[in-house]
Amino acid sequence: MLTTALIVVPFAAALFLWLVPLPREYAGPFAILAAVVEVGIWIRAAIRFDFSGGLQFSARHNWFADLGVSYHVGFYGFSLWLAGLTVVVCACAIGYGVWAQREHARAYFGLMLFLTGSVVGVFASQDLLLFYAFFEAMLIPLYVLVGVWGGPNRVRATVVFVIYTMVGSLLMLASIVAFGISQHTFSLVDSGTSGNDWIFLGFALAFAVKAPLFPFHGWLRQAYTEASPEVAAVLSGVVSKAAVFGFIMIVLPHFPGPVHDFRTTILVLATIGLAYGSVLAFRQPDIRGVIAYSSLAQMSLIIMGIFAYSWLGMNGAVLQSISHGLVSAAMFLLAGMVERQWGTDSFARLGGAARGRPILATLLLVTGMFTLAVPGSTNFAGEFLILAGIFPVGWGYAAVGAVAIVLAAMYTLRVISAVLHDRGGDAVTPGSPDLRFGQIVLVVPLIACLFALSVWPNAVSGHSKSPPWSNKALRTVLCEGPDGVVWCK
Amino acid sequence: MIAAAWLCLLAPVAGALAITFAGKRLTRRAAGWLSTASVFVAFGGAVVAFFAMVGRETPQRTELSTPFTWLSAGTFHVGMSILVDPVSIVMMLVVSGVGGLIVLYSIGYMDGEDEERRYFAYMAFFVFAMLLLVEGGNLLLLLVGWGLVGLASYLLIGFYHHRPEAVAAAKKAFIMNAIGDATMALGFFLLIAKTGTLEYGASFAAAPHLSSTTVNLVALGLLGGAVAKSAQLPLQTWLPDAMEGPTPVSALIHAATMVTAGVYLIVRTHPIFEQAHHVEDLAAGLGAATLVIAGLIALVQTDIKRVIAYSTMSQIGYMFLGAGLGAYANAMFHLVTHAFFKALLFLAAGIIIHHLAGEQDIRQMGGLKKFMPQTWLAFLIGSLALVGIPPFAGFWSKDALIASALARGGVFGWILLVASLFGALLTGIYTFRLFFRVFYGEPSELVLEHAGSAHGDHEHGAESAMSHSVHSHGEAPFTMALPVAILAVLSTVGGLLQVAGAWHPFGRWIAQTGAPLVEPTTSQDWVISAITVGVGLVGSWIAWAMYRTGRLAVPSVPALQRVFEHKFYFDELYDGLVSRPAQLLAERLRSDVETPYVEGALSEIGRAGGQAGGLVGRMQTGLLRVYAFAIAASLVVLGIVFLAVR
Amino acid sequence: MMGPSVPFYLAISGCLFGIGALGVLLRRSPLIVLLSLEIMLNGSNLALVTFSRHFGTVDGQVFAISVMAVAAAEVCVGLGLIVAIARKKLTLDVDLFSELRG
Repeated sequence: MLTTALIVVPFAAALFLWLVPLPREYAGPFAILAAVVEVGIWIRAAIRFDFSGGLQFSARHNWFADLGVSYHVGFYGFSLWLAGLTVVVCACAIGYGVWAQREHARAYFGLMLFLTGSVVGVFASQDLLLFYAFFEAMLIPLYVLVGVWGGPNRVRATVVFVIYTMVGSLLMLASIVAFGISQHTFSLVDSGTSGNDWIFLGFALAFAVKAPLFPFHGWLRQAYTEASPEVAAVLSGVVSKAAVFGFIMIVLPHFPGPVHDFRTTILVLATIGLAYGSVLAFRQPDIRGVIAYSSLAQMSLIIMGIFAYSWLGMNGAVLQSISHGLVSAAMFLLAGMVERQWGTDSFARLGGAARGRPILATLLLVTGMFTLAVPGSTNFAGEFLILAGIFPVGWGYAAVGAVAIVLAAMYTLRVISAVLHDRGGDAVTPGSPDLRFGQIVLVVPLIACLFALSVWPNAVSGHSKSPPWSNKALRTVLCEGPDGVVWCK
Repeated sequence: MIAAAWLCLLAPVAGALAITFAGKRLTRRAAGWLSTASVFVAFGGAVVAFFAMVGRETPQRTELSTPFTWLSAGTFHVGMSILVDPVSIVMMLVVSGVGGLIVLYSIGYMDGEDEERRYFAYMAFFVFAMLLLVEGGNLLLLLVGWGLVGLASYLLIGFYHHRPEAVAAAKKAFIMNAIGDATMALGFFLLIAKTGTLEYGASFAAAPHLSSTTVNLVALGLLGGAVAKSAQLPLQTWLPDAMEGPTPVSALIHAATMVTAGVYLIVRTHPIFEQAHHVEDLAAGLGAATLVIAGLIALVQTDIKRVIAYSTMSQIGYMFLGAGLGAYANAMFHLVTHAFFKALLFLAAGIIIHHLAGEQDIRQMGGLKKFMPQTWLAFLIGSLALVGIPPFAGFWSKDALIASALARGGVFGWILLVASLFGALLTGIYTFRLFFRVFYGEPSELVLEHAGSAHGDHEHGAESAMSHSVHSHGEAPFTMALPVAILAVLSTVGGLLQVAGAWHPFGRWIAQTGAPLVEPTTSQDWVISAITVGVGLVGSWIAWAMYRTGRLAVPSVPALQRVFEHKFYFDELYDGLVSRPAQLLAERLRSDVETPYVEGALSEIGRAGGQAGGLVGRMQTGLLRVYAFAIAASLVVLGIVFLAVR
Repeated sequence: MMGPSVPFYLAISGCLFGIGALGVLLRRSPLIVLLSLEIMLNGSNLALVTFSRHFGTVDGQVFAISVMAVAAAEVCVGLGLIVAIARKKLTLDVDLFSELRG
């Protein structure tokens, strides 16, 4: 019941907004109310969740009985956390939309709520066709949100983004159908394993485009730059984690053979993406570009963690997904506030914002410190676990990861000093005000969650059970180190 | 004991958070006092813990407290734990004690600055981070503290963020520290892969059973971090630039505490280092090389803070030398006395800089003795301690270290010995060069300007507050003079904690955690002491002859001068080797890979799609006869196919 | 039954069909194309009647009559189209009517 409530509440709220002729001033507050209710439901679910067990809060109803398709939803430990990330980030994004006073308010907030519902649906689904339905349902509101409320080049960005993602999704559809037919059921819980490389590739490509994984990231820069800040926050913070979910829930448990065969390729691509994203982030001329390439690097790191195929890597990947989601959403919202205040986010024109604006400076500095994963932060904990997990697979991967840590410091500090300290541009006038309460209250929940997680990252990392992997041989090789040390289950 | 240790750790961060959240509701003065109070509460906690520890027997003096698990993944667990043992309690006392004095001093020094509250919040945060580093109960928490002090250093060096040099220096410090963090992390990954844990006890117990490659690599990773944090060769370039921060910051972070973290690390993880002899020797060698090079560079510096900074680099070289040799107690002892006299020197320099409205160039100073007699005395005590003249603190500690080099023996030991003695000579020269240039000779115009009036014409901040604080005390307000006085006293008598050859309470205290690998004999101690004092006096005499009386001409070797002034060209080397290629790589990747291939790929695909469509479209000619022919032909083909298949 | 055997009739039928097909494909005037189409239909009619006579059933002959009816209808439509085109004063050349191009 809780799961279905989590999924249905945003959809119902969206429908209500679209159908009922509410005056436009009430659309925003109504959407925020719905988002807060959603967060409340999630908190209740989290309190009642048993983190040492398996699938919980599950509900199952037959859909196409003769094909074996059912409406099957439920949460594992790790997907509960992903859903939590979704509801929090979407609530803050909706809040930003209210503050920014978006036009066509009813349509806009309805779409944001629809997006929230679809993403939660993705994280809750336990049936492949249901998963696909929600996966595609995510794209619809994004298409409209980016295409209508985006920046000057939004049309091209939208087209590129949607086509790229759709190609991946169609391949995944083929794989889903093939897999479901061969297993005689579409339920993730009931289906067994398959050794078919092509089916695996269909899934892997779709998720590689979503994450993104090098070299399927061509849509990233434009989409993140042209979307409005809160949509970009949701895109980079939440939607990209659908790929993480897909890998952990669908690919790893059901395709042991192909995972083993393609592991090195994927790890190499992820490593390249990590290095490539970090290096490119270093020379971007605006805040959004840095966040975009930094996201590429972080998602590559998360994928490295997943394919390390050990508890260190897996828990690290889940923790890092949550941490990265929170921090990149916060960064996008702050970048949006900077843009709105001074009309630009280009480094050439910004500079010296710290003078007389302590709140902006503090928030940007704190968010920047989380972005670069200062030791002690939850991002650091996630990165550390991932790299510790990938080290036994190949020390080269961990070495690149270590270099990426230094590069992350370089590009983040560049952002901070370009906006706050250097006296570069003309956009920042001395009289412009500091962040007001309305703006602070949008970003603070994200930062508060980051702080809370930094004090106790084990909340996520020790409580993120995922479906068991079936490749016993692979697990044995990796889980028992050469000196008899066992460090995964 | 543990409760006191937790109090010690948490008080400063509570202070920092209080200042941050109170914002403008707290006056600037109040913020300063709150910050100072929180650090002194920490000191109180450390003292209570110390006395509790003294009352216990040796085995019970080590205690680990883990309230909850911070991070876990499968069988890998890291607890949020603190370790209180003889070594960490010494560090806790030094950090919170000297830290408290310096924060107190800052109340006067930073009075009237813009954004004072931010400064005090950062200072308290730094003390917390450093305490976390020394109290951390496992290697991961050590790394966390390690990174956080790097962060605090960035925030404080870049405090004057409207100055581009300060911002650049802060970034440089952070990035070089991040390099150290990365090497440590790599060492930790290897350790986890081989032992499955980062707990001190477990990994130290496992160390002798690890393969020699593993242990050497882990030790190398640790050494990388230590070298970056302590500004030793080859990662030393950030320290002189860090002098862009306010003087109390230089005193606390870059003299007394943060930069000594590397030494603490080696002492703490000595079971691993002891299995990796080559890395130990490397540490000692790097220490020796740094102490000589830093001493040479200090000879030509003209900024008062930079001279003291290079002196710090050099003294830490001594500590690395000692720690690398295995003389843990001696290295720690020098750490403690160095904290006293170096902080004293920085704070005294701060009084001078404050008095001269921000001037730091010693060529603009001179003849300050008659205008600032108390500062002169403080500076003299600090200098004597630094050079190692008995009975001041530095004598007892430095000589013990050099004696360890002698005790090591062998070719390596002799090289270290010669290097240390040469370093002592250089120390004498540059220290007293500074002393004489600043306090003696003809007063410069700047000095005369600020001397007559009770320096009421300062440029920074609220002038009224400034002159008010100064009227009451002439040279410096009470908040600045008291810490200097206390440190002066400590620099004088602090060395008596351990008298080589006579009584070794400090040595025995540290030996509870790490038994030394080399112990100089009493006669070695006495001989070395005599030689070192002699060398130090010779150096001081040379400085006196060159800069005070002008009897010896200052040698002028332009090539050498240039090399020293350019700090042996390390900055240029790193710029050309690392930063320029990185930027170039980023630029080329963007223009040659990202834009044409990755983003361009999409346009290409679109265009290809259009072209394919065009090709197929040519089949639709619109001509009736062609269509009819097509129908006929297909019928024929189908007919043949069906006939053949049947 | 007397008279030539089936193969001869089929040969003539085939020739008629072939001549008609060639006419459709090679001639440019729509009237001639229609004419050739009629020849094709007659060819197939002949084949139908031949087989009907050979097997002794009446089916082929019935089918041939329906083919004639369809042919008549189709000629009406075709001639109507040609008259409409001619009325528009367009040249009656099949190759010129290619606006439905790809």
